[in-house]
Amino acid sequence: MRDYRAKVNGRVYSASVEEKASNHFRVELDGQVFEIELVGKNEVLDWSVRSGERAVRAQTRALQNDIVETWLAGVPFATAVQAVGLANYPVQTDRTVERRYGGEIRALMPGRVTSILVKETDYVEVGSPLLILEAMKMQNEISSPIVGRVKSIGIREGETVKKDALLMEIG
Amino acid sequence: MKMKLLIANRGEIALRIIRTCRKLGIRTVLVHSDPDRESLPVYYADERYPLGGSTPGETYLNIPKIIKAAVGTRCDAIHPGYGFLAEDASFVAACEENHLTFVGPPSEALEKLGNKLLARRTMHEAQVPIIPGSDGQLRDEDVAVEVAERIGYPVIIKAVYGGGGRGMRMARTSEEVRRFFRVTKLESASAFGRDVLYLEKQLIDPRHVEIQALADSRGKIVTLGERECSIQRRHQKLLEEAPSVALDEKLRERLCDAAKKGLAAARYVNAGTVEFLLDKSGRFYFLEVNKRLQVEHLVTELTTGIDLVEEQLKIASKEPLGMSQNDVHVNGWAINCRINAEDPKRGFSPSPGTVVRYHPATGPGIRVDSALYSGYTIPEFYDSMIAKLSSWGRNRDEAIRRMRIALDEMEIVGVPSTVALHMAIMNDDGFLQGNFDTSYLDHVLPRMNSALLEIERFAVAAGVASKMTLRSPPVQSQPSTSKSSWRSFARAKAVAQDWRAGW
Repeated sequence: MRDYRAKVNGRVYSASVEEKASNHFRVELDGQVFEIELVGKNEVLDWSVRSGERAVRAQTRALQNDIVETWLAGVPFATAVQAVGLANYPVQTDRTVERRYGGEIRALMPGRVTSILVKETDYVEVGSPLLILEAMKMQNEISSPIVGRVKSIGIREGETVKKDALLMEIG
Repeated sequence: MKMKLLIANRGEIALRIIRTCRKLGIRTVLVHSDPDRESLPVYYADERYPLGGSTPGETYLNIPKIIKAAVGTRCDAIHPGYGFLAEDASFVAACEENHLTFVGPPSEALEKLGNKLLARRTMHEAQVPIIPGSDGQLRDEDVAVEVAERIGYPVIIKAVYGGGGRGMRMARTSEEVRRFFRVTKLESASAFGRDVLYLEKQLIDPRHVEIQALADSRGKIVTLGERECSIQRRHQKLLEEAPSVALDEKLRERLCDAAKKGLAAARYVNAGTVEFLLDKSGRFYFLEVNKRLQVEHLVTELTTGIDLVEEQLKIASKEPLGMSQNDVHVNGWAINCRINAEDPKRGFSPSPGTVVRYHPATGPGIRVDSALYSGYTIPEFYDSMIAKLSSWGRNRDEAIRRMRIALDEMEIVGVPSTVALHMAIMNDDGFLQGNFDTSYLDHVLPRMNSALLEIERFAVAAGVASKMTLRSPPVQSQPSTSKSSWRSFARAKAVAQDWRAGW
């Protein structure tokens, strides 16, 4: 039996894991019990996860540090997992949370900047349209997740940007 | 039918067309962009022709390059698939000039129906009901506001040359009309090459029902029943089914009759779809004609047993339709879920990337149209739809039950997709009772968050167990079993190339 703390999408869960038999685990997650079986070890690990009436299949792979990425129903969950009582360093938060407080606007997807809707020193509110990024034939209006003045704009109209590229700084 | 066919498209639809050609013994040439060199349809086509470049403008929208490819490889005909040049009258004209058969309607019908303003006029004259809107194109923002105020909000601003759900936006105020006028103009210029706009009244929560038809060059038209396409996000269809729970035999007959009249008035030839909006009182209005093979054509194939691509090729070769209306029987029920590379956790933003593991669903009544494989990198330049997952059942209930299993079996690891959204829909009371319209997803998406939260607990549980497993040294697996299917595919391809080179 081992206790873990897991953080995903800004939420923290407490879990205790028991290896019942080879490849069979019982996980208690904040009171909810999961019966888990490791069914395959390939380029990713394959799991069967059951809780109550519901059974799903999931795949996991280890990312850097303590991050485990679980894929379920086509959705990735990057989870920071730490054994409780071993070390006390802070659980690494995922990037979504950092962006919200960091004041940087980064590209969520690669694409082409078709138009910039603000200029430096403009004041923006949460939800103010900042720019239009074209990706996969869609015009995506990128709106501000934060309040502040536009400190710098790192891109030009017509420019192609990679995922996570710095678009603007708001301070 | 003797022909050599160039396919001017990519991804799953290129593969879909190739499959019918292989069945009929038609030789295929597939043009492709640089990022698509490693794609499945390029592998399965009889011949490949690199267009050079990555963006649609450099490749699949580039008429001179494609015509040159078709002439250079001695093709007789071009199938445009959907999107790209499928409904481009100037492309059809270029084909005609170069004695290439375009697998689709003639350029006059395309022009008449491709210009949405002309299409409205044509339908109105053929006594097919149309939605109130602007008579002509909108010169500028001021005119747009003027028309909107006259017919009343909400209105929908549309690109005259748009289609496929793109190039339109709903506006509720004059401020929104101005803002969306600008955005739609940009989108239209980028996606369709022309930025002419018009607007019409937005019906309140209508259903979207469309009639699939086949028309031969002698003027014979048969309809293959309807498709229900009300489940949409941002005017982009997400899930389609056939038949529609909203139609009774009488209404179905009236819709099919209107579709036939409209297509006849436009002198339409080949496979085409007439889209209608259906309001709460059972009135219907002409929306537009899709002058191509549609993404969702497979649900009609599943319920009628007709190979629509084969019919398209026959009609293009001037063969008369081999069936009459009495030969068409709609059997059972089919549902199609569009699996898009979009992240439900981030407002469904496009998520191109590399697929680490792909395992498609199979089994009784299941059909998957997709060009994915493990190791495939989804390019950022094109559409986000990566797979069409369809189920067939003797009735709607069986089709839904099969779809639930298929969604559970479908594994796409490495690229976020819309599988979870479809799972939520397949368990939603509104959908199960057939009680939904085009506003359906607006109601379901907020509930998506609680569905994601539930999934998240399962994901965390697996993540924690995985952490415990990874602490222990990894088990040395046998080299032969640790090979990914990507490597096997690459190997198979290399072998195939060696084989060709060696002989």
